[in-house]
Amino acid sequence: MSPLQFAWRSLSRQPARAVLGLTGVAVVGALLFDMLMLSRGLIVSFRDLLESTGFDVRVTATEALPGMGPSVSEAAATVEALRRLPELAAVVPVRFGVAAVEALGKKTEEVAIIGSETRRRGEWRLVQGADLAEDSGAGRPDMVVNRTFARDQGLGPGSIVRLASTLTPREFRVSGIVEFPFEASGERMAGVTLNGFTRAFPAARRDEADLLLVASPPGMGTETAVSAIRRARPDLHAFSIDEVLERLRQAEFSYFRQVSFVLATIASFFALLLVTTLLTVSVNQRLGEVAALRALGFSRRRITLDLLAESALLVGGGGIVAVPLGLLLAHGLDSILRQMPDLPSRLHFFVFEPRALAIHLAFLVLAALVAAAYPVILAARLPIAATLRKESIS
Amino acid sequence: MSAPVAIVEARGVGKVYPMPAGPVEALRDVSLTVAPGEYVAISGPSGCGKSTLLHLLGCVDTPTAGSLLFEGHPVRAMGEEERSRIRLRRIGFVFQRFYLLPMLTAWENVELVQSEAGMPAAERRARTRELLEYVGLGERAGHRPSQLSGGEMQRVAIARALANRPGLLLADEPTGELDDETGEQIGDLFDRVNADGTALVIVTHNPALAARARRRLAMRSGRLAAPSVVAGS
Amino acid sequence: MIASLRRLFLVLALVASARAAGAAAGASDPPPDILVSRGLMRERGLSVGQIVMLSADARGAGARPFRIAGVYEPTPDPSRFTAKRLEARMHLPDLLGLTADPGEAGAVDAVGAINIGLKDPADAGAFARELAARAPAVSVVPTAAGGDEHFVIIERFHMAISVVTMIGSTAFLLALMVIRADERREIAGLLRLLGLRRRRILLQALLEGLCIATAGAVFGVMFAAATQGAVNAFFQWRYDTTLVFVRVTPAIAARCVALALPLGVMAGLLASWTLLRRPVLDLLRR
Repeated sequence: MSPLQFAWRSLSRQPARAVLGLTGVAVVGALLFDMLMLSRGLIVSFRDLLESTGFDVRVTATEALPGMGPSVSEAAATVEALRRLPELAAVVPVRFGVAAVEALGKKTEEVAIIGSETRRRGEWRLVQGADLAEDSGAGRPDMVVNRTFARDQGLGPGSIVRLASTLTPREFRVSGIVEFPFEASGERMAGVTLNGFTRAFPAARRDEADLLLVASPPGMGTETAVSAIRRARPDLHAFSIDEVLERLRQAEFSYFRQVSFVLATIASFFALLLVTTLLTVSVNQRLGEVAALRALGFSRRRITLDLLAESALLVGGGGIVAVPLGLLLAHGLDSILRQMPDLPSRLHFFVFEPRALAIHLAFLVLAALVAAAYPVILAARLPIAATLRKESIS
Repeated sequence: MSAPVAIVEARGVGKVYPMPAGPVEALRDVSLTVAPGEYVAISGPSGCGKSTLLHLLGCVDTPTAGSLLFEGHPVRAMGEEERSRIRLRRIGFVFQRFYLLPMLTAWENVELVQSEAGMPAAERRARTRELLEYVGLGERAGHRPSQLSGGEMQRVAIARALANRPGLLLADEPTGELDDETGEQIGDLFDRVNADGTALVIVTHNPALAARARRRLAMRSGRLAAPSVVAGS
Repeated sequence: MIASLRRLFLVLALVASARAAGAAAGASDPPPDILVSRGLMRERGLSVGQIVMLSADARGAGARPFRIAGVYEPTPDPSRFTAKRLEARMHLPDLLGLTADPGEAGAVDAVGAINIGLKDPADAGAFARELAARAPAVSVVPTAAGGDEHFVIIERFHMAISVVTMIGSTAFLLALMVIRADERREIAGLLRLLGLRRRRILLQALLEGLCIATAGAVFGVMFAAATQGAVNAFFQWRYDTTLVFVRVTPAIAARCVALALPLGVMAGLLASWTLLRRPVLDLLRR
């Protein structure tokens, strides 16, 4: 009988205990698996969002994140200078602003407006109508709106949007409905040309950009583009997607990383405690049997293998159940966290990665070994004669 | 022609247990030789050192004084793994409390030690069937210990002890938990085992069981009381 | 996303050392005062009384001198506690003078928001409705409109995690109780053999479970209360904030005990029942 078969029979000897042990390991294992997904989920998800724009380098005026610091001044000249660099395939200036629109019932609502060039569109995806036409300066400039904005205001291609102001109202013509990669659930967003942006925000400083989106040529590599920008314009700050993510990991996303670390540690400790307790009690309850087996010639190695197999069955069985349970739980927890305001609706906190599964399995193997350590020592170092004597007296 | 090598030979062995209240001398200067096919019974009051001697003879423990030879080899020089191997292949143990594994059937309990000794599956099956028939439990092979009586459990334990064809079978109070009639049946079984060539050393309080042995030893305060009684020789 | 970023945007570039700034300031009127956040003071090694140059342009165009009049601790913001609070406060005309586009006449008279303090804060709702009706282009939001939604979501997340942890703990507790009951199998059998009724033995298990659960719950609450300082200290150090992350309130302690007690008792009873439903002789059989 192999150690694994022997362990199976030992566990099935106390089915209630084994089932409860498996349940406990499955639940804490699910939590552990979720925390592993959470620890990198935001980063992985955010990378997908950043990459979906088609630009792999962001350029800002300072080290602050786009929209969080001073703007790039003399934007037009800066963009032209960068476009001349052979290491860059595209450079698009972007401006951010928040305006008020008059809604039904005379209420005003906020709308986030992105001003961008018409040359290349990675900042939004057209789903209905037409994209922006170049602003001639006469008449109403074009505007693309997201579904939420269109639904709230009853807009469609050809509709007129009136931005509210205490001074003079400003009107735009909706050319199409679009989807912004970073739009939050329920957030009203609109896109306009840079000229349109200036007309939307007449008080804003001219010839500035909050962010320059840069695409490196295929095959040349992001790092080459970043280095070229840093050489040509040391006053600007260029970030690759990896660098942006690293900064987010260190700051903005660090709370969830730490929460996941703390909870993963607690979950691992809990699983260890549970399995160690079950195995230790199990060994303590059958010291006589273990001593008898040793007297019958079973080696220490064999006893150790039996206990390790028992630990592996408990942890492994619970750990396997933990994966689908964890995915289910992650779905629930993700839907809770995604209710946070102003969060891109395509951003997820819990993202499945093979890496998370591999770490989860490695954790389980480690947990099985560590959990078995104490009961193994207890059983392997059992004084055979003294135990048999004590057991026969008791 | 040289004399056959004794299965186990104790020469002036002693065993001292370190205790918090001071060392306890469980055995003092005990000398005993068990030859192949012998049948020895050791009796004595509780705590006189019978079980300690049995454990030494069975290589479960090592003496703190004197020397012990198993089939001519000094036990003290053996490592833990080697002693385990000897116990598995050359010695059989029968305990007062049976120590059958409750989650295994009678068949599996007997087969387990053979599988640990690396016996091929076909041979294992034949030997297990043979042994269960031998102890009269061929019909109860699929039963778990909880479904067997005390006497039946002890018979399974004897079958298990014989599974790897040991040269020496050691029994520690094998009828301690059984009634007289069942004890008699176990005694008959031991007689048969010995008649088939296995040396037996039985530690017992049961005078009827001790009386079956050809050599009966008495112990008192960690010493073997002389002279030994040799029956039927 | 954009809207939230916009709301958070208030950063100015610090462009010159005190000496250079002092020289620039010496020629004209004394520079206006500003307050600097504790984080910015520490990050840039500034001191009260120092003259600094501030500009809305990253390259320092149009920089103006300001005197650091004091240090302030920004109000902790749970929605951005991971961000460094590198901030400064100044008089509105100074800010407009620094940020407005000189080419745009109306820019120097434009503000992002107007804070209004009412004599009676309870009138906030009615006031907001009335003002919105009178000035349709203005967005009017009472500041006490509700708790921070981030807080609510995080609390909901923590609650969900607590429920999962509780399910795991319950399985653990039940396993321990089953082990404990199993260890006392023979005693339970003996008591029943002596004629004690199942109810009597269950009552004993209930009282034991109650004692263990109470001790466990009280220990848990005491442990949480004792370690909350360390947890808060760590996160406050990590994020350089005065926010309180963990607080064991009497209500939370009561909720913990209220959950732990019935769970402990039920686990004890359930484990005992698995034994007691078996025939007496089964319990006594080895």
